[in-house]
Amino acid sequence: MRQDGQTSLAAGFLGLPSARSVRGSLARKVSLALVSILVFTLLLAAFFAYYKFESVYSSLVQSRYSFVVFTVKKKVEDSLNLGLALRQLRQVQEIIEREKARDSQILSIQVYDAQGEVLFDTDRGAIGTFVGSGLVDAAKASSAQSFGATDDDMLIVGLPLVNTLGKVEGGILLRYPQAYVEHGVGGLLIQLSRTTAELLAVFSVLAVAGLYILFGRVSRKLGSMERTLGTVLSEGGQAVPEAGGDPFEERFAEFVTKSREATDHIREATEEIGRLDRLA
Amino acid sequence: MTLDRTRPLFVRLLLLAFMVLVPPVGLLTYDALGEFSKGLVPELDKKAETVGRDLAASIERAVGYGIPVDHLVGMDEFFTPVLRSNPEIRYLAVTNRDGRILYLTGARREVLEPFYAVADFDDDAERVRKSNLGDFVDLAQPISGKNGRVGHLHVGIDDGFVRGRLMEIVIDIAVVTLGALLVAVEILLFVVLVNVIGPMREVGMVIDRVRRGDFSHVSGSGSDDEVGHFVSGFNAALRYCDDLFRRLEDYIDEVKAAHFDKSVVERVGEIEARVRFLFRFSRQGQPDVITERQAADIRLPLFLFVFAEEMSRSFIPLYIRDLSVPIPGLSPDLVMALPIALFMLLIAVVSPSAALAASRLGSRRIFLMGLVPATMGFVLSAWAYSVYDFMLWRGITAIGYAMVTMACQSYIAQISKQERRAQGLGVYVGAVLTASICGTGIGGVLAERVGYRPTFVVAAVLAVIAGMLIYRLLDTPQVSEQRSSPHLRQYLGLLRNWRFSALILFAAIPSKIALTGAFFFLLPLTLMLDTAVDLGDVARIMMIYPIVVVTLSPLAARLADRTGWKAGLVALGGVIGGMALVTPLIENSPQMLALGVVLLGVSHGLSASPQLAMIPDVCWTECRNIGQTNVLAFLRFAERLGSFIGPLLAAAFLPFFGYYDSIVAVGAISLGLSLIFVVLSFAYGSGPHIEAELME
Repeated sequence: MRQDGQTSLAAGFLGLPSARSVRGSLARKVSLALVSILVFTLLLAAFFAYYKFESVYSSLVQSRYSFVVFTVKKKVEDSLNLGLALRQLRQVQEIIEREKARDSQILSIQVYDAQGEVLFDTDRGAIGTFVGSGLVDAAKASSAQSFGATDDDMLIVGLPLVNTLGKVEGGILLRYPQAYVEHGVGGLLIQLSRTTAELLAVFSVLAVAGLYILFGRVSRKLGSMERTLGTVLSEGGQAVPEAGGDPFEERFAEFVTKSREATDHIREATEEIGRLDRLA
Repeated sequence: MTLDRTRPLFVRLLLLAFMVLVPPVGLLTYDALGEFSKGLVPELDKKAETVGRDLAASIERAVGYGIPVDHLVGMDEFFTPVLRSNPEIRYLAVTNRDGRILYLTGARREVLEPFYAVADFDDDAERVRKSNLGDFVDLAQPISGKNGRVGHLHVGIDDGFVRGRLMEIVIDIAVVTLGALLVAVEILLFVVLVNVIGPMREVGMVIDRVRRGDFSHVSGSGSDDEVGHFVSGFNAALRYCDDLFRRLEDYIDEVKAAHFDKSVVERVGEIEARVRFLFRFSRQGQPDVITERQAADIRLPLFLFVFAEEMSRSFIPLYIRDLSVPIPGLSPDLVMALPIALFMLLIAVVSPSAALAASRLGSRRIFLMGLVPATMGFVLSAWAYSVYDFMLWRGITAIGYAMVTMACQSYIAQISKQERRAQGLGVYVGAVLTASICGTGIGGVLAERVGYRPTFVVAAVLAVIAGMLIYRLLDTPQVSEQRSSPHLRQYLGLLRNWRFSALILFAAIPSKIALTGAFFFLLPLTLMLDTAVDLGDVARIMMIYPIVVVTLSPLAARLADRTGWKAGLVALGGVIGGMALVTPLIENSPQMLALGVVLLGVSHGLSASPQLAMIPDVCWTECRNIGQTNVLAFLRFAERLGSFIGPLLAAAFLPFFGYYDSIVAVGAISLGLSLIFVVLSFAYGSGPHIEAELME
């Protein structure tokens, strides 16, 4: 908006109280909101991507090890089906040691009986100890399905040993390091963190720049209207909306004119009364 | 860009938000997919190798006993369980030294034969060979007998397995992005309305007064930004005019009181009359302050609150199933339905009192009061021990929900002028539906990752944030003038109007039965019967409903206004809704259920707005007697009875029909009732009906 007549008027000349100072700009406020939404969105997207990967990856690792356990289970159950007692199956020790030797990530394989007593273990020193009751119960509850558990920094996958009559005779547990899964997904976590940070930096700058441009126009328009108002009220002239000005600016121009008209009229009335007062 | 109108600035802002939010999420997804693929493929290979090694060892054992590799029996039975328990492995095959397929399970011969025929398997005797075969990755494990190599065992990994998992990530992130965009819309709309459009509208109102010579008001907005600076300068100009006038007024009074010359006094009186004729100033000694409240003030808190409630939408029945304990005399299915039915019943019962309380005590107070039980309900639901206490916590949440939603409706009704009431209600419906889309989608995906209980905690946090916003935004209590509420007799008198009763019985109630019975209660349980469907899928299917409703509702409202075919649209919507639930008759599959959800959304999108728009015509007399708001409130109350009946009806069907057929049964009831409305709709006619008044 421009004004006809003199420009550059300070409100103080007119006796108008000075306008409140700008402490938080509009662009800054909206930037804060938009950048917060961007942070929230990127973090949530990264969170979901990471956890999906983590869940697929860990279930894939678990299913690989459960296949190993399944292999041992088949061999042990074949012997059980011949009528031998689990405790008597000496070849089991050899089977589990062979399986462990094939995969360096396997920490231990244990075979235990229905009471939880470890009968065979790749760590021979652990034979005769008992596994936790939770694992015994899990084996009894799952009957055909593999079950998973955690033990400190180890992940456990297990399967029950079932005889021909369907009775759970015990179970097999395979332990592998949690660090293996963490290492596998760690790469993605680092990569995602780095990408998120980079994208956040770039697009935050873009958001802020875009908002400063967008609200810069608003600020300029408001500043121009405010200056026009001050100038017209103090020095006269007319507020004229710029070419292509919107309806609000047109209404504001009328407001400025009307305000000037009112002040002029009141001043004239005051002067007229003053004249009458003095004349008498 | 017009400063006092929302659209121009908001559209620009939205475009910017889209440009700032979507590309980084897309890039992040692309990056994640690359890493995902890189990490997953070696692990898949390891698994295939493990499986292959074990199977090859078994075959070698048989060959070691002297059975020729091409004379092994029962290989299909040997391979099938392995394939069944390892879905990422698509086929298992054994080839001889020449690459001829001896045994194959899981794929067609003609797909693999051309490759095996030309492959050189003699190379690198002990190495596992990896090759890409169209949609498969083939890992060949050598099989050796006493006299050396006898053939290869092939493990075929489905290339689509990795693609499928990648697609799941893409869909999850797409849901998050959609949710984030909708949240961005809500927040930016709020920021723009509160900081720019609201203050500029007030300025616009003052400007319009000044253009008529009325200098009696200033704008009440005040902030520390450019708009606040402008408003401050604007108000200063008005106060300057007002000050000049006050000084003139004082001078006139002084002259009138002290001057001895009558003609001068007379002349001064004329000047005063002229000034007062041309300009109007406040009689209070200083300009009055205009503060315009808007329906949008309450939109963001309402959005956050409904978002919080909707987060559990996709898993509530599953959570109840986990908590379920036998209740003597009730079937397990009915026990599962009880918390949902109770929730709906309490909303129906508490809503009228909450609305009354909001008009007496103010919306802000009731909103904040309602948040206490709602938040407690969310938190305690997270720690629910059994279905008994869960019912109690959901009951508490329902009370809070009724109070908060009624407080919002009451606020909008108070501040919207009659002609802008529909616009105000549009703000309410918009916030609720958008929150429903985001809440259902994000809540389901979140619950899949972190579990049901933490999701309730997140809901509680959102409810608290909604409360904080209300506390800050609505700083004065909004109390409306006390109006006596109609008596129960007057409400029941509404049922004498057959058009209204028919609308309730054959349109509103069936639609709610379908919604709560089939959609809220049966759908998640039925979808989860399919082992390939996870909670994220349930949430994504359920969020289709609000998306369709939010898309169709404005179109249906416009169509109803333009054609006046309101009863017809309600009837059509009802029939589509009924048909939506009988889609499992075609096939019992998640795809059919998803189609049903789309149709249910179409149904409610078509009928919801025309149903409300019919009321002023159908109940013309009653609206005049007890007020349109009260008639609408009674309609809402009555349809919530349908919401209460729905889950119980569905649970009653479950022992007899099972999940899929129970959905069909609920659909059949809904369809039957809707067909009655179709017949009756022809007798509705158009325009206001004044029979009731004539009868009286």
